[in-house]
Amino acid sequence: MKKRIAGIVLALALSASTLAGCGGTGGTSQTSAETAAAETAAKTEGAGGEKTFVFGDTTFNAENDESTINPHEGYSGWACIRYGVGETLFQLDDDMNLQPWIGESYENVDDTTWKLKIKDGVTFSNGNPCDGEAVKACLEDLVKTHERAAGDLKIASIDVNGNELTIKTSEPNPVLFNYLAEPYGCIIDVSAGVTPEGMVIGTGPYVAKELVTDDHLLLEKNPNYWNGDVNVDKITVRTISDGDTLALALQSGEIDAAYGMAYKSYPLFTNDNYTFSSTATSRSFYCQFNFNSPVCSDGAVRKAMAMGIDKEGFVKTLLQGYGYVGKGAFPDTLSYGGQNVNTESYDPEGAKKVLEDAGWVDSDGDGIREKDGQKLSVRWLTYPSRQELPLLAQSAQATLKDIGIDIQINSTADHNTICKDQSQWDVYVGANVNAGLGDPANFFSTHCLDSSTKNRGSYHNDNLEKLAKELEDTFNKDERGKLAIEMQQQILDDHAFIFCSFLKMSMISRKGVTGITAHPCDFYELTADLDVN
Amino acid sequence: MKHYAVCRLLQLLPILFAITFMSFAMMRVAGSDVVEQKIENRGNAVSQEVVDAAREELGLDKPFLTQYFTWLGKMLHGDMGTSYVSGKPVFQTFLTKLPGTLLLTATSILLTIVLSIPLGILAAVRQNRITDYIIRVFSFIGNSMPNFFVALLLMYFFSIRLGLFPVISTGTSMKSVFLPTLTLAIAMSAKYLRQVRATILDELSKEYVAGAKARGIKFSVTLFRSVLKASLVTIVTLLTLSIGSLLGGTAIVESIFMWDGVGKMAVDAISMRDYPIIQAYVMWMAIIYVVVNLITDLSYRYLDPRIRLGGMKQ
Repeated sequence: MKKRIAGIVLALALSASTLAGCGGTGGTSQTSAETAAAETAAKTEGAGGEKTFVFGDTTFNAENDESTINPHEGYSGWACIRYGVGETLFQLDDDMNLQPWIGESYENVDDTTWKLKIKDGVTFSNGNPCDGEAVKACLEDLVKTHERAAGDLKIASIDVNGNELTIKTSEPNPVLFNYLAEPYGCIIDVSAGVTPEGMVIGTGPYVAKELVTDDHLLLEKNPNYWNGDVNVDKITVRTISDGDTLALALQSGEIDAAYGMAYKSYPLFTNDNYTFSSTATSRSFYCQFNFNSPVCSDGAVRKAMAMGIDKEGFVKTLLQGYGYVGKGAFPDTLSYGGQNVNTESYDPEGAKKVLEDAGWVDSDGDGIREKDGQKLSVRWLTYPSRQELPLLAQSAQATLKDIGIDIQINSTADHNTICKDQSQWDVYVGANVNAGLGDPANFFSTHCLDSSTKNRGSYHNDNLEKLAKELEDTFNKDERGKLAIEMQQQILDDHAFIFCSFLKMSMISRKGVTGITAHPCDFYELTADLDVN
Repeated sequence: MKHYAVCRLLQLLPILFAITFMSFAMMRVAGSDVVEQKIENRGNAVSQEVVDAAREELGLDKPFLTQYFTWLGKMLHGDMGTSYVSGKPVFQTFLTKLPGTLLLTATSILLTIVLSIPLGILAAVRQNRITDYIIRVFSFIGNSMPNFFVALLLMYFFSIRLGLFPVISTGTSMKSVFLPTLTLAIAMSAKYLRQVRATILDELSKEYVAGAKARGIKFSVTLFRSVLKASLVTIVTLLTLSIGSLLGGTAIVESIFMWDGVGKMAVDAISMRDYPIIQAYVMWMAIIYVVVNLITDLSYRYLDPRIRLGGMKQ
């Protein structure tokens, strides 16, 4: 009898614990979320009335080349600037124009000479002045140690006179100051050195106190901040690589705000307890055609594909509205963006006609068109590490099938090796930040020209090459914009690319957090404006 | 016995050579490298010069065999190299991850023993009765649910609903280890309690049990002094194999709970093609399995007198 009772008690205990784990209704869940938020709010006024803030980020890790916060190392400058340790000479505003930050103004003297004025009264967090000499020392160390900076900046020499610097470049570089707004351009006190963990002294509102790569970064308020008051006393940036964990951590109140949330988790936070800050970025999801492919070398096929992909449906349904439909290579928020160009819109009937006129017909009734014995089967090469790309592949596969194009998806981490062999793919679908520094040149020079390393499909157009040369030598911003529009129209007319959508970058914070705003360039996250109430 | 143990340990050398060579080769077959992976993760285009310089710096521009033997040569001199991704020494990185994995292994195994052995015995003793059915149903559910799903359920219940444990592990504290431990123990217990039940039932069907009953010996005495003892070899084999796999880390559980162990380190290294870390992990796994299997074999001699006596007769 005793054995039987013990068995029943044990079984009931196990049932209760399992069912409790599975159970839950919307009503009680809401109450728990509110309780968690209230507890977090209580936490923010910690010992001695200190305000604390915990930020969860999926991207702050060694895999993204952000092992440290030393801007002179890989992409670690992103962590330096995002978490408010470092600041650059100029910053990009919402329209991606340069605005003064540590620098006051700059002037282009001739093709290779620039004059830069540093603001008076800027100090590093250790109290040292951030003057002309300090900026010179930082930039010299940058071009000496950083693998990309020397090639981007082309700095030949720097002369200092008080807070005025004269920078000479080895060749004309119209976008020198755009590059100096790149996170590697954070001005750090090189005389203070770099700790073994990779922490540096910057001019930002926060000072790094502890760094464990792939785990966390502890920040404290900069007592010597030169640019106003800082509201939050202590910040912990937590690296949370798993999207579900990030969502649960925000729900439980363990973190106050999150960056890098998966689209599928967004509905959990679309209520009054949380705030979304979203903005369009220039990270595009694009199709790049292989001009040596047996099917995509046919302009009609490329045009039909441009008409057969339902960009609107992809963004609305699969990205749950957290994206922007693409037209040109750049988003509409930029003066030279997609609003200035013309391209095909979603038109399945028009696409069918284009294919039929070009001789692609479904003669065997299997729903896929053929021409000269060649099936209209397109090998779609993409990769899974960007969550949007496999979704785009599935969306395109469905809509293109309706117009008689069979899409064979190859979503693989090995896409870089495969795309080197043009016989193995017809269209490459990837993601790229097309105007991360507010200037259009980089996209064309890396993806569209004969000399481009990412011109995977061997696309060539004489006019585009001519325009690119012109862009290289043009210093005037408006003129550069005009050229960028002309170049975009050229690649769209050739149907060399389809720009499907742009990333809408979002940060989600709990109720009571203010001053955390998404920026189109994706560089600025934790600023002096951040506050917790 | 010493001779046997030394021979088994010496077998490690060719095993280590073969598997490190194979893992090095398989990584090459998988394509891509750490430089490409980093560029892809950033999503920014960089010039070919930058890519070539990065490859040259890491020695990735050299032929496969040169790369392997360079690594092997350094390894034989006690230098495991530096991580291509973090730039930190591999040995030091490995040592920082090990305490987390050891703690999680110990707690998971302990909880598995606590759950699976009593429940397995109870199910066997109460065979085909309501207790047995209930335990088997829970075992079936536990086996059916993947680890990540159990982890998310537990997080939801214990962290969001009850607020008892953190979602994100903060160091290797007991509070942080509870949920990952429970996640692993549920899956392992679900599997092992069925095997414990089957082993006990097998023993209970033997003639010596019927004989003991006929002689009027209490069932509990037969169960704990004879049946359990005879079942120990099977149970120990199962548990030691689990220790082996747990010491290799549990990538999914570690990733979900942000538990800083070797499993997550290995998966991250594979996705980034961080060869020095992968090689260290492969060596660690080989050593674990050889040593754990050796300890298991040796323990049989103590646990089961029949094996010991059989050995003496030979």
